[in-house]
Amino acid sequence: MTGRLTIHEASLAMVTDLGRTRGPQFGLPLNGALDQYSARAANILVGNAEGDPLIELTLFDLAFTPDRDVLIAATGAEMTLEVDGAPLPQWEPVPVRAGQRVELRGMSAGMRCYVAVHGSVEVPHLLGSCAPDTVVGFGHALSADEHLELAGTTPSPMSPYLGISLFNLGICPPCLDGTAVVDVVDGPEIEEFGGTAHRLFRRPFEVSPRSNHIGLRLGGPEVPVRTSTEEKISRGVPVGAVEVPPGDELLILHRGRGVTAGYPVLGVVTSTSLDTLGQVRPGQSVVFRHVDATQARSDVRAWRKALDALRNRVTTAFSSLGFDDGVTPNQRG
Amino acid sequence: MSPTLPAEISTAGESAVRVTGRTGDRERDWRLVHQLARRFTRAEVPGFTVAIPTYESVLLEFDAALTGHEEIIALIAETVPALDLDAPLHEDPRHFRVPVLYGGEGGPDLERVAEITGLSAEEVIAAHCAPTYTVRCLGAPGGSPMLDGPALPVAIPRLASPRTHVPQGAVSLAGRQATITPAAAPGGWCVIGRTPLTVLDLDAEPLVPYRPGDTLRFEPASAREVERLAGGRLTPEEAR
Repeated sequence: MTGRLTIHEASLAMVTDLGRTRGPQFGLPLNGALDQYSARAANILVGNAEGDPLIELTLFDLAFTPDRDVLIAATGAEMTLEVDGAPLPQWEPVPVRAGQRVELRGMSAGMRCYVAVHGSVEVPHLLGSCAPDTVVGFGHALSADEHLELAGTTPSPMSPYLGISLFNLGICPPCLDGTAVVDVVDGPEIEEFGGTAHRLFRRPFEVSPRSNHIGLRLGGPEVPVRTSTEEKISRGVPVGAVEVPPGDELLILHRGRGVTAGYPVLGVVTSTSLDTLGQVRPGQSVVFRHVDATQARSDVRAWRKALDALRNRVTTAFSSLGFDDGVTPNQRG
Repeated sequence: MSPTLPAEISTAGESAVRVTGRTGDRERDWRLVHQLARRFTRAEVPGFTVAIPTYESVLLEFDAALTGHEEIIALIAETVPALDLDAPLHEDPRHFRVPVLYGGEGGPDLERVAEITGLSAEEVIAAHCAPTYTVRCLGAPGGSPMLDGPALPVAIPRLASPRTHVPQGAVSLAGRQATITPAAAPGGWCVIGRTPLTVLDLDAEPLVPYRPGDTLRFEPASAREVERLAGGRLTPEEAR
């Protein structure tokens, strides 16, 4: 079953997935959706595997038209979703008829919106992932008038009862407004910051415009100071590493980070808070909160449970509408 | 953790563990971390996602919803004593020759390195071309061959302010390390020359032609040779 999306308007929109786990052993970064919760939820809402390719749009609007009936879902940053001018909810499966125009406009909170399409889209892969890698020049930014092939082989579960919040899917969208709270556990080289490491937790920091998928820079009145000066031999750095490079800012490495580096790691942002950092805007205030690994781990498990529960409710909703086909069984991708 | 384990284990967030070789021998530390990475990758350990082995340490990342520090550390403690730290990484290491045009536009930091080390530019080049390097690991950006640095009197400090653009093919030094840059990226290493050969090929499998454990040598090339070689690919020497 073939089909395609005609893109009318796109800027800073890419097709991505959960990341290139085969990359780091070959020196390529992980990359992939910066807000993994929202990306996974979008795919679950349309019955896809969590790791299926989907569209990540950063800050700007997107408009497209499918040439066959297809179920979509938009999650992540807050936008206005309209299908042929009719407003529809985010965080819900939304049926779109062939020829209808889908528009996502006016991002009002957050930085990245995820748009999943039932059956996913057809794009090139590198080492098992379609995630863009800006350093090696892999990946493809969507542009106006291009066509994106649909990958699905089964018809979408289309029903007028979808998209009207008939089913309480019970998803809890992340809070994107105001001061972001980011949890950090101690890093392996915290002692190299002498007595200044605690400055991370004392006052809010502000997200610098020089932030991207590789790393976020944050300024504050009191930045921790590296007290050691020795040259470190390159070693693997975790996603979420909090470093203090020369200058007056913190650097927090995100999924596009180079896999090896020589700076000491003060702390590591927890997996769930990395999603929060995937949505913060330049100028937004961030408060860091010190947690231990046990707390971080129970947060990840709660996050996992919420996604598994969503999958179950979506499956139930689809089967109550008579769609048992076209729903990918519980796959975490 | 066994007190006799020849490795130090530290945590790096709730989803990663770093293992550093502590055998007392750099070569054995390096083999330990690469062999450990290989074991984890091949054994398909539940929840385990990524291994990044480098010179003397390996970062093991995992999904904390599926496993945790305790399980991963227990498996490390069980695996390390079973490794043969004298076994080479490959039975059939490959060798590469890398032509380099030193100094000038493609090597803006050659004079700086000469100054720091108290050597002449020619002596820096001779030192850089002397050893047969072992590829210690593949690093950032884009699968750089991470090498031990040449024998210079002092470690080479990173640039105080990193360059925003280091071109593909840059040959550089930092600390006690050396590398080639396969893909243009920002960088703080001292760039002493440039190879005209292409290292990274997104259409090839693998993407870069060398593996950890392979060897390479640098050779000075003239501007004319560089012109002739431009756009060629780095390929291993024929097995002898």
